Amino acid sequence: MFACLLIPDFPVQAVLLLEPADTREALRRSPMAVLDGPSTLLKVIALNDAARNGGIKAGMTKLQVETCTGVSLRKRSAASEESAQDALLSCASAFSPRVESTCPGTVILDLDGTEKMFGSPEKASCKIAIAARQIGFHPRVAIAKNPDTALYAARGFAGITIIPEGHEARELASLSVSILPAGPELPGVLESWGIHTFGSLAALPPIALVERLGQEGLKLQKLAQGRLERPLRTTEPAPNFVENYEFDDPVETVESLTFVLNRLLQQVCARLVSYSLATDELRLTLDLAVKRIQGSNAEDQYRHEWKLPVPTQDRNMLFSLVRLELERNTFSAPIKRLTIEVISVKPRVAQGNLFAPPSPETEKLEITLARIRGVVGSTDTEGIHCVGSAKLLDTHKPNAFAVDKFSSSTETRSLSVIVPTLALRIFRPALETSVELTEQTPHFVRLWKKYRRVLATSGPWCSSGNWWNAAVWSREEWDVALKTFKGIGYYRIYLDRLRKQWFVEGVFD
Amino acid sequence: MPHSHSPRAQIEARIPSAFASHKRLESRTLLTGIPEVDSLTGGIPVSALTEICGPGKTSVLVSLLAHSSHEHYCALVDASDAFDPVSAEAAGADLSHLLWVRCGKTKQKLRPLEQAFKVTDMLLQSGGFGLIVVDLSDIADKVVCKVPISSWFRFSRVVENQQTALVFIEQQPHATSCARLVLKLAAAPAIFSGNLLMSFTLNANVTRNCEKKGVQSATPDFSVKAQWA
Repeated sequence: MFACLLIPDFPVQAVLLLEPADTREALRRSPMAVLDGPSTLLKVIALNDAARNGGIKAGMTKLQVETCTGVSLRKRSAASEESAQDALLSCASAFSPRVESTCPGTVILDLDGTEKMFGSPEKASCKIAIAARQIGFHPRVAIAKNPDTALYAARGFAGITIIPEGHEARELASLSVSILPAGPELPGVLESWGIHTFGSLAALPPIALVERLGQEGLKLQKLAQGRLERPLRTTEPAPNFVENYEFDDPVETVESLTFVLNRLLQQVCARLVSYSLATDELRLTLDLAVKRIQGSNAEDQYRHEWKLPVPTQDRNMLFSLVRLELERNTFSAPIKRLTIEVISVKPRVAQGNLFAPPSPETEKLEITLARIRGVVGSTDTEGIHCVGSAKLLDTHKPNAFAVDKFSSSTETRSLSVIVPTLALRIFRPALETSVELTEQTPHFVRLWKKYRRVLATSGPWCSSGNWWNAAVWSREEWDVALKTFKGIGYYRIYLDRLRKQWFVEGVFD
Repeated sequence: MPHSHSPRAQIEARIPSAFASHKRLESRTLLTGIPEVDSLTGGIPVSALTEICGPGKTSVLVSLLAHSSHEHYCALVDASDAFDPVSAEAAGADLSHLLWVRCGKTKQKLRPLEQAFKVTDMLLQSGGFGLIVVDLSDIADKVVCKVPISSWFRFSRVVENQQTALVFIEQQPHATSCARLVLKLAAAPAIFSGNLLMSFTLNANVTRNCEKKGVQSATPDFSVKAQWA
């Protein structure tokens, strides 16, 4: 058996898919038309039942449609139709591995061998319709013995249609021949013969039909009888998890972006779930409507990517991460196009360890870290991250460190012997100072706008490095005890021998 | 007058937990790795707020991080970006288990102290950290003084329901009764051996301890050695 999943008025439903769920149903019930063509001559290419009832027809110009009150007009979006077709294929793939992408808005599934999983054709068709409704479509589903019978049943009848084996011709008899894939002249010929329905075409004598219309006529008759058998042209659904949306008018506020973003992420995550996959990398691209002024170097695209520590299918988590990033940024121009791409990986299969230390929940931690970055910033002036795990760099330069991404899934190191150690508090950046020397030893150090007497010294400790490149450094380090207004303070000072400048690096505490 | 019409019953009918006694979780502690401080305080209490102040506080903090980071995930909210990873690594801390938040490094709307408090709030809400340290040492005392008591109270109440030790490092204690342990440190002059700074001798004094009242007057000396000593 074959099932046909068809989305009537596909361009309209594809555009509706990007609307928020609460307004979508209201829009669906109100007259709506999708326009396409050159901007000076936009014409209706698709419309819903409410618009049809209101007297609007395909091919009307925008000006003509605008005379009807209460009609919502949308511009056709090839990207949204492509995404909707991908979503439809993903939905069908959840029911059968053999799926044909027949045309935009129509897919045919081979249901042979799936009875144990999805039950009888009636139950399977209901399940397919429910799955499509969950995505946001209002579908038609038809099940029949061969693909074309299912296809024409779906095109001809609303809702769910089950055609029992052997009753194809009788069930299809009432359909109009205008839906058959005939050449440009054939409908006129059939009309002149008084053939209007599948039933009357099916009843014609086949030899006489071939004599007059050739093999094409015989093929159409077999279609009308529901007897045409053909193999399914299955498509291997490429796991392409990209969603994009082009705004009619560029948007400037984050609020306008977020509901579209939420919708796109919902579609991507639904598709990931249908393929039993997850993602550990999310990429966001925003195309900006930059008005080029001579000499300006404004970027016309903003990109950001998130590498997640664990694979996830959680839409809310991904949405929070992107929303926090968008709220943190200001863009140089309004946004005209939004693209979301996720890299699919196998979902995480992990078993909790009773003996592992309690750790922050990985998904929750990602959002917390993003929120913290929103408060303290992402990187400092030197490009070092403000939030993460410190990592000492393998250089000889004192205090060379980097800040890596913090992860709560790192392995625990065994506890070594811990000896209380004297710690240094670093001044970042180091405080410029001046030092008075006596016999090459610091005698007075200027600190907090006053010269402080040096009570004891330890040094000099000389070091240098990177003499082979531009990052050359050379320093002479001293640990000094200074008499301050709070008592005796122990500081680390150093002389930058290249700049001939003294600095206070930190205080022992 | 029937019992159910008593003022207490009427209030409890409206607010069921109005007269409920608040039970604290069984107290656990984290060791600092300094035997003298651990025997004096019994360790840093988990599910409570602790304040450490005075000279030598960073050395105690680093020792605490070194001891805790092997068993727990820790977070350090560094209000003035003064943390030295080299000292922590030398003390034996597992830096991969330590989340370091450097406040005040970029031009943000909030001041470093406000950033530190907001980040601490977020970390407490996130949960899962065994130790959260907030380093306010370099924030002027007159600024920290202005933190309303309600903020300290809120931290102490939030942390009570979590398996997290919340430690504030400051110049002076400010949380008053919201802190379960207040440890004040004092330092004797450092010991130089020849041309080398060798060690600090510190003196710990518990000014407030809700858990272990008997030893509050004890002030043992202990020393923290330089990495090269």
